[in-house]
Amino acid sequence: MKKFGNFNILALVIGFSFLYIPIILLILFSFNESRLVTVWGGFSTKWYGELMQNQGIKDAAWVTIKVAFVSSTIATILGTIAGLVMTRFGHFRGRTLFSGMIYAPMVMPEVIIGLSTLLMFVALAVDRGVMTVTLAHITFSMCYVAVVIQSRMSSYDDSITEAALDLGCTPFRTFILITLPIILPAVVAGWLLSFTLSLDDLVIASFTSGPGSTTLPMKIYSMVRLGVTPEINAVSTILVGLVTLGVISASIIGRRQKQNVIKV
Amino acid sequence: MGTSLCGRASVVTIMKNKQKMSSPFKSLLSGRLAVIAIPYVWLLLFFLLPFIFVLKISLAEPIMAIPPYTSLLDWGDSWFPSVQASLESYLFLFSDSLYIKAYLSSLKIAVISTILTLIIGYSIAYSVARAPTRWRGILLMLVILPFWTSFLIRVYAWIGILKTEGLLNLALMTIGLIEKPLIIMNTDLAVYIGIVYSYLPFMILPLYANLEKMDMSLLEAAADLGCRPFKTFWTVTVPLSLPGILAGCFLVFIPVMGEFVIPDLLGGSETLMIGKVLWTEFFYNRDWPVASAVAIILLALLVVPIMLYQRSQEKAIS
Amino acid sequence: MSETLSASPWLNSSEKPYIQIENVTKKFGDFTAIDNLNLDIYKNEFFSLLGPSGCGKTTLLRMLAGFEKITDGRILLDGEDISEIPPHLRPINMMFQSYALFPHMTVEKNIAFGLKQDNLPENEIRQRVEEMLELVELTDFAKRKPNQLSGGQSQRVALARSLAKRPKLLLLDEPLGALDKRLREQTQFELMDIQEKLEVTFVIVTHDQEEAMTVSSRIGVMDSGNLVQVATPTEIYEAPINKDVADFIGDVNILQGVYKGQNKTGTQLESEDSKSIVFATQEVDASPGDMMWFAIRPEKLEISKKKPSDNHNILKGKIEDIAYGGSFSTYHVRLDNGRILKAIRANRERTEEHHLTWEDEVYLQWAPHSAVVLLS
Repeated sequence: MKKFGNFNILALVIGFSFLYIPIILLILFSFNESRLVTVWGGFSTKWYGELMQNQGIKDAAWVTIKVAFVSSTIATILGTIAGLVMTRFGHFRGRTLFSGMIYAPMVMPEVIIGLSTLLMFVALAVDRGVMTVTLAHITFSMCYVAVVIQSRMSSYDDSITEAALDLGCTPFRTFILITLPIILPAVVAGWLLSFTLSLDDLVIASFTSGPGSTTLPMKIYSMVRLGVTPEINAVSTILVGLVTLGVISASIIGRRQKQNVIKV
Repeated sequence: MGTSLCGRASVVTIMKNKQKMSSPFKSLLSGRLAVIAIPYVWLLLFFLLPFIFVLKISLAEPIMAIPPYTSLLDWGDSWFPSVQASLESYLFLFSDSLYIKAYLSSLKIAVISTILTLIIGYSIAYSVARAPTRWRGILLMLVILPFWTSFLIRVYAWIGILKTEGLLNLALMTIGLIEKPLIIMNTDLAVYIGIVYSYLPFMILPLYANLEKMDMSLLEAAADLGCRPFKTFWTVTVPLSLPGILAGCFLVFIPVMGEFVIPDLLGGSETLMIGKVLWTEFFYNRDWPVASAVAIILLALLVVPIMLYQRSQEKAIS
Repeated sequence: MSETLSASPWLNSSEKPYIQIENVTKKFGDFTAIDNLNLDIYKNEFFSLLGPSGCGKTTLLRMLAGFEKITDGRILLDGEDISEIPPHLRPINMMFQSYALFPHMTVEKNIAFGLKQDNLPENEIRQRVEEMLELVELTDFAKRKPNQLSGGQSQRVALARSLAKRPKLLLLDEPLGALDKRLREQTQFELMDIQEKLEVTFVIVTHDQEEAMTVSSRIGVMDSGNLVQVATPTEIYEAPINKDVADFIGDVNILQGVYKGQNKTGTQLESEDSKSIVFATQEVDASPGDMMWFAIRPEKLEISKKKPSDNHNILKGKIEDIAYGGSFSTYHVRLDNGRILKAIRANRERTEEHHLTWEDEVYLQWAPHSAVVLLS
């Protein structure tokens, strides 16, 4: 019985083509001399040059990075605590609601999350800006982090925590000295995930941002509504490139770590 | 002798500690409560509480003011405020067939996209799971990579391809398969392509996680008992991968119901999706009460699937 | 070596127990895991909690460690009530079944961990760690990480780590379960040596009755949350308190009989199988006609093709199965009424006279002091 047969190879080839051809075309046409998508005017980096001149994009990028850094750091802290609470604290009153609040944002349509968060800010007369976007991002990112940590803890050997307690270590110190170092790769993965989600978010940011806090996705979206331009391709290519670098390096680090540490 | 001294010293220490703390377990307990409270309160404030505001505003009337809706409680001159609630927005939604059509259309698109994504996603996940071990890591990374790339960018990439003057038509016409360009852009078809493309990683990951852990010896046992590969697939592999299938379907169906970006960029004016409707009501019509009512109804429709999803995930992890 | 009173502190009424488990109950929701259990363990004992899975032995151990809260009752250590004290404040250490070595620390750091929590001075920690490494013979492995150790080495690091703080009580949760047979036997003796040398009280949980018999000063046999019998290995084997204990430890033949009375030989029972009178030396308080059981260990059944000269304690049957074990053989003998008894005989001779084979008609006999009368 063939384990990895022709059907499998075909599925993978077609599947990966489907996944990557649009991205590759996107990158390709960012270097197109001509403005038109269907006409190749020759290789040119002029759109990247124009990009560097575009203050609107640069401001938006800066806002986006700020928001992403702050929100992912806080989301990682909150999400790690939430993940530990879900797996280590057993049953407590209100646990079902807590669990619901962790899983719901992951599937809930973004328009609902964006609208609801904004309406609350308006009702409480909170000025919309970088802070409100950050708060909204923290809220949904922490849920993803919580799930990542939860998944990590489900394969965590409890007796290690008990051994530390048994040897005289207080619960808090046990977390710092033992648990955290061991689950650190998952925490870092959670941070990266939050960062990406924040970087990428369009809908929620559109609802919760204010004047002067336009994020990069919002800027790109407004440009896209006006039509396809290679400038958009250029900014997209840069983002894709950065993300690819990040994912590849994370994957290499992850592989090297696996060789060193025993799976606990 | 040294050991017995140590022993006595540790017992004395316990006695001292006991006098300091009335009940060591209890102090641990209050610390525990504080730890639970930190993420709990945050989520209550920033996730749950907003829904109360959506409900409140859905019962208000739109006015030309900032904020553009009437307040729920009118204090007026008396001690007790009167409640100004109006079901106008909800009645409006039910009376105008556009909205009902939008909900149904969203449901249709969500169901069809989920099925399409399942078929394609399962094939890819299955093939990666069956690939030689040394390839699996790289293949999986290649699957996840687009996921880390911006959603918006990936949808945008399709515009250039599906446009009437786009690359797909150019390619097909150059090969000679068609004479006139296909109108795909701004149709439901483009939306389907966009949704399947964007949500594929969400389907593949839980499927793969499940298929990878599958005990190969079960398939071998089936073969040993005379079952053909095709039948084994349907009677053994698929039922065992059901948790992954469910998770993937939830992860696609529920968000697609309220999807906005894809129908907005790739769909046409006849593409009715409730996410787009909500956006239009809020940003263009500036009708916050109606937008809120749309959100409440959508939420009501999705509550059950969301709870099912949560339950399935809790079961999977425990 | 005769058993002096100091070697059996439980026999000495003036000796105070080191651990007192008083009326302890543990419930998980509706399920009662430990039911009003009372147990005294004395200093320097090597005490085993033995029983089938689910009997509650591990739960009891974890309550001693502080990882499970006691539903009702209390536990005293050297006179102090430790029931409310959290695990990190008890002078008790535990060796875990999974070893639970900290994967991100070297062997040295693992062993030093507990000492660091007590804020001992650096050089004292270093000295103690060296001592421990010598004790378990792993001095060359100090700088290794847990993923570079074999199963046996990991186990010894876990042991060294749990003894580093010189606890007065060490709890061991199925410590030898993951080792292969030869390593297990070797480690059993090493554990006993270490326990004697360091004068630490050991409480060990195991489901392996051979292990319990080898290492223990006393064994507590548990079943469904209750202590069934607490006694020395010899007493448990030779004088089990009921059929369950008799059956759980080693092989045993349990036969039914009707009480007839006492005479100078001992208790008279009429065997249900042979309808003949059998004797057991122990005295039993019962009335004639009462139904009871008597247990005979297979090695105490004399098996022979020749009819014994005296007439008591004899059963007749046919050999149905033989399990050859090299140094001894186990014979499955089917009695005339259908019941099968097990007899073990050392293969001391190779002559034809002693050779037994399938279908042989044999006589089983035992001495009166070899049987144990069981009332339940």
